This record gives sequence, C-alpha cells and structure tokens, in this order.
Amino acid sequence: MPALSMKAARRWPGLAEVLAGEGRAWLFVAKTLLALYLAAWLAMWLRLEQPATAMITVGIVMHPHSGMVLAKSFYRALGTLCGSAFGLALMCVFPQQRELFLLSLSVWVALCAGGATLYRNFMSYGFVLAGYTAAIVALPAINDPLGVFDSALMRVSEVMLGLVVAGVVSDVLFPERLRPLLRQRAREHFAHFIDFVRGSTGGSIPRAEMEQAHLRFVRAAVELENLRASVIFEDPEVRARSTRMRLLNQHNMAAATSFQSLHHTINRLQREGRTAEVDALIALYRPLGAALATAPGDLHEPAVLAPRLRACARQLPAREAELRAGLAPGRAQLAFDTGATLLRRFLDELCAYVEVELALRGRVQRGGVERVHFRRGNDATGAAVAVLRTFLTMTVLSAFWIASGWPFGASAMLLATIFSGLLAAAPNPLTSAFVTLLGFAGGILAALHVAYGLLPGSSGFVMLVAASLPFLAIGPWLNAHAEFGGMGGGFSIGIVYILALKDPMVYDLAHALNDAIAQLAGVALAAASFVFVPRVTGSGWQRRRQVRRLRGQVVLAATAPLQGLPWRFESVSRDLFHQVIVHTRPGSRRSRELLAWALAVQESGRALIELRQQLRASTASPEVRAAVDRAVQAVAQLYHRPDAGRRQQAEDAVRAAIDACAGTPTLRPRLYQLLGALRDDESPLAAWTSAGEPADAP
Amino acid sequence: MPREIAIWGVLVPGLLPVFLGSLLLMVLVDLLIGRYGLHRYVWHPPLFRLALFACLFGAAALLLLH
Repeated sequence: MPALSMKAARRWPGLAEVLAGEGRAWLFVAKTLLALYLAAWLAMWLRLEQPATAMITVGIVMHPHSGMVLAKSFYRALGTLCGSAFGLALMCVFPQQRELFLLSLSVWVALCAGGATLYRNFMSYGFVLAGYTAAIVALPAINDPLGVFDSALMRVSEVMLGLVVAGVVSDVLFPERLRPLLRQRAREHFAHFIDFVRGSTGGSIPRAEMEQAHLRFVRAAVELENLRASVIFEDPEVRARSTRMRLLNQHNMAAATSFQSLHHTINRLQREGRTAEVDALIALYRPLGAALATAPGDLHEPAVLAPRLRACARQLPAREAELRAGLAPGRAQLAFDTGATLLRRFLDELCAYVEVELALRGRVQRGGVERVHFRRGNDATGAAVAVLRTFLTMTVLSAFWIASGWPFGASAMLLATIFSGLLAAAPNPLTSAFVTLLGFAGGILAALHVAYGLLPGSSGFVMLVAASLPFLAIGPWLNAHAEFGGMGGGFSIGIVYILALKDPMVYDLAHALNDAIAQLAGVALAAASFVFVPRVTGSGWQRRRQVRRLRGQVVLAATAPLQGLPWRFESVSRDLFHQVIVHTRPGSRRSRELLAWALAVQESGRALIELRQQLRASTASPEVRAAVDRAVQAVAQLYHRPDAGRRQQAEDAVRAAIDACAGTPTLRPRLYQLLGALRDDESPLAAWTSAGEPADAP
Repeated sequence: MPREIAIWGVLVPGLLPVFLGSLLLMVLVDLLIGRYGLHRYVWHPPLFRLALFACLFGAAALLLLH
C-alpha cells in the first residue's frame, strides 16, 4: 500500500493527500459503525428499553481524536448524572402541574444552553447533556408519573452504556492521538519564542512586527491551553505534566509581556533621539543574544540554553553598574534604570520558562510545582442571550403543546432541547441550523426506507446490520468532512431516532410519521429561534464591549488583591483579546485598533502590578505611598474611560509620584515606564495627547 | 459482601460500589504510571489500561462477591 501511494504521489501530487484524508475518514466511519452496533447489541442483550438512546449517545460522542472522546465522555457523564437527577426531582415536585413542570424544564434547559456557550471546551458538552438528559428522563414519563424512576434508570443506563462503548472503541482501536499534536505545537511555540528573542537582540523592533508577534504568541498560548485541557483525558503522562504545562504557559506569557515592555521602552527612547541611553541598553542586552546563539543543533534545546541563560543573569548586575556609570546622572540614568529593570525581569522569566520546559522534556516528573490557572474572560451577556433564546423556544413549544393537545409534543420538545444546546455553541448558528435541518430530514427519509422497506424481510442481528449499515455510514462520513458542517450530526440523530431499533422490533408507520413530523418541527423551531434572538458573538456591539473589558483589565490590575494577580492578568487579558480577534479580518482597521489596545493594556497593566508589588514590599513614607496610589488610580481611571482630560490627569499624577519617589530607587523606574507608556505616540492613547508639551522632564 | 445493597431504599447491585472502587484505584495507578512514564514499556497503552482495569475489577469482584 505505501509503495502504491508513493507511486501515485509522484504521478498525481494531489491524489496522495486526498487518499490519506479519505483513509482517516473511512477509519472514523468504521469505528463509529462498530461502536453504534456494539452499543445496540449490548443494549438489547441487557434488555434495556430503548437501544436507540445508547446509539444516539454514540453518534454524538464519536470524534476522530480519541482524547476528545474521553474528554467529552467525562463531561457527558457528569452532565448526564446532573440532568437525570434534575429530571427526577422535577417529576416529583410537579407530577400534576403541567404548566409549572414545563416552565421549570424550560428554565433548566435554557440555563444549560447558556452554560454551553460560556465554555469553549468540552465542558460545554456537559451542559448540553445536562439539559438533554433532564428532558429525556422527564418527558416520556409525563403521562405516567409513577414510572418516572424506572424510566430515569433506563435512560441513564442507556446513555452510560453508549459513553463506555464509544470511549473504549475509539481509544483502543487505531486511536488517533492528540498528544503528538500537543507536543509538536508546544515545541514549535518554544522554538518560535526563542528565535524571536534571539533575532531581536540587535536593537529595536517596529511596532507592526511586535503586533504580529503578539498575535502569534496569544494564539499559541490559548491553543496550547485548549489542547492541554483535552489531552489530559487521553494520556496519564500528560496528566502528570499538566500542572507544569500550565506553569510553562504562564511563564511564557509573563516573559512575552516583559519582552514587549522592554522593546517599547527602547523604541520610545530611540524615537526621542536619546542615542546614549539606547546604546547603553542595547549593550546591556547583547549578552542575552550571545547566550541564545548556541551551536546550530542546540538552538532550541533547553538543556543547553538553561545554564547559559542563568550565567547571563548572574553577570547582568556588574555589567549594568558599569554601563550606568558611563551615562549622565539624572534623566539618562533613570531611563537606563527603567530598561535595565525590565531586562532583569525578562531574563528571570525567560530562565524560569526554559527551566520548566527542560523539566517537561524529562521522562520522569519529580517534585511539585506552583499551581497556576489559565483564567478565562467569560462573557456573561452572550450566555444570557442564549438563555433567553432557548427559554423562548421551549416556552413557545410548551404553550403550543398544551394548547393543541398534540400527542407528539414530547418528541418536538426533546429534539428542540438537543439542538438548542448543540447549536448555541456552533460558530455560525444560522447556517449550521439550516444544514442540520437538511441532514435531519435526510436521516428521517433514510430511516423510513430502512425500517419499512428493508427490515421487514430480514431476521436476526446480522441481517439488521446488513440492511442498515450503508445508511448509518452516511452520518459519520459527513461528520468526518468538515465542509458539511452540522449535516452529519443531524443525519445521525434523525436516522437513529426514527429507526428506533428494538428487540422485538415495533412497526407502526403512522406513529413513526407523526413522530418524524414532530421532531422536524422541534429542530426547525430551535433553528428559527436564531432569527428572532440572534447570537451576539461577533457583532459590533459585542466587539466594543469586549474591547472595553480588555481595557478594564488595567483597572483590575490597579485594584484587585495582589495574590495571584500577575497570572490572572496575563491569562484573562490574552483570552479576551483572542476572543475578539477571531472575529476581525486580519489587517483591517478594527483588527489594528484592537491589537494596539491589547499591547497598551499588556504593558500598562503589568507595570501597575509590578509597581504595586514593589510598593507593598518597600519602606516608603506615607506621603510617597499616597502619591503612588494616586498615580495608580489615575491610570486606572484613564483606561476605564479614556479621554484627553483623564490622560492629562494620569500623566500629572505619575510625574508627581516620580518627584515624590526621589529617595526610593525601586519605585522610580516602574513609574517612569508607566509615564513612557502614557506618552507613547504609537499607542492608542496618543489620540488624546495634547501637542506641544515638554517631551520629558521628570 | 451482599449481592445487592440498599441506598436510600433503592436496591443497587453490589457490583456498583466495587466498580466505583476499581475506578478510583485505576486513577491512582494512572497517577503512578504518568509520573514515572511507565507507558513507554507498553506496546498499546490504551489497551493496556483497559486490560488492567478489567483485571482489577474482575479480581475485586471475585474476591468480594464470590
């Protein structure tokens, strides 16, 4: 086979790629079918009531990457337990009050759909499932409240069976692992970062290049965190490394911020034409470049880099004193101190980063490390809109059900529940709702053909497999091709629900058709709700709000308790930025504006945190403390609502604090950096700078 | 151990607590394996984990319920 595809690759270069992609797709189809039939067979063997529920679970959970399956299964199991407990409780509280029962169910499902939009990883699945399980436990028992416990037990057993089968099949048979991807991405990112630092030791970096680098590093940081959160379910070795990987990411983010601040400082000095200070700082910086320039084979080898960087950090103070003596006292030395403080901080963080990377590459993980978390900037408003939309959908369906006495209202409600949750988390809900609806309709037609055309003539499980296999294979095949979007999911759920495999099989065409119509109505209503209550993510309103929240991170840096604040600031500001930037066109005016704000927030916020930490540790007099506090609050006010007056106030307050701190050498460089950030003519704050002022007179 | 146990008046198979206990044990074993990187001595780690779990659960169930 390899020889064949090699030959093919030489003759038609595109073909080998297509073949490899198709191979993966068909492997996925085969695994999904095996899991589906295994779940169906086991459910029949265990005499569970509805093998279809186990099959649907498999259909929803299966994913080409096995780490994904286990992660999904874990959160799904949690969601299932919560949902079934809630469904049971609901049935006990309102057995004869259909209005209150349906209202409470709608609220629960809506809250779960909101929770699903709040998280961007598989926890969102847990929320979808918590809503869906409550509905499948409670709705079928609505006419028979006494049987609700047995029904709940059956549903939970079926869902759990589906989870176990899907997990085992996808993890044991030809697993496609995420761990190599994680390792490759982590190493690439490490190499990029080291290369970028090495490449920029010669002097200044243009702002545009810095913006692109920031964008790349933020993407990598968020992507690595997302991958880590999934891979820990796949591999115990990754789980043992999980805390360290988080720490690695945090050190990397901290180092990136310090690096940017250092370069902003050098760039500003250069633009002001202060060559003596710039030359001194670049001379101070040069040994770092030498430490990173190792033999070509070891360029990205932490075992080689770590000792060299440590040695470089040890020599730094002596070199600093020497270079400082060559500068004129006063302004020039203050500017130099600012740069040197940043360089020292950056070097410390870079050493820590490389050392954690070195420890991660070891085979055995020893000792504990500091526990840090990647905090997310979750958006409560977006979730509230999803809650509202789902609540409206469910209430409209409930009202219609009660008013019309529709016998199949439960089916419509159930399907609306599933798709409200699934679609709320989709990237482009209106399109994918339409595509899903198409897939669902196709699945129903296929199921009717199989159930009433092929199955009556067959007997036994083997014949059942033979009759339904070609049709069941369509769903996973569509799923394996990303260009079909949600069509595969709709198809799979449609075919399995209407097929309703059972032992013995029940044939009732009228019932099946009524059910199909009700389910289609449920899916259609869940889709239509996106027209009436559109999704806020990606809208201009949402973007402006997110940018305001990003600026709010500076306020947070100025006011929140200092414990753990640096880690929190670095991760939340990046996560927020990443959420907004994916909805802007690269290179557009909005994207540029956002990047400019992100860099300004990163520099000022981190400077404020450093300043507050130094202030807490120092023995400054109360007057000095008051002056620094005023400066911190003025900068926070400026970022809260930027305008010319506040910018001027902030600048005055910082200048006053610099004058007040004449006797405290630890605080002055930080304040001076803050002043530089406020006066930076390339930052978005420059729009409010009043022209014609003295450039710099501390 | 009894074949069925009552939890708040609901009869539950005695295998369920054994199953949960084996899961917990498996998590501990995984922690050790992950820490010392022992999976590199194994051909197919997921299969090994599944088999190990089957052994743990089977042994516990036979010892406790037989």
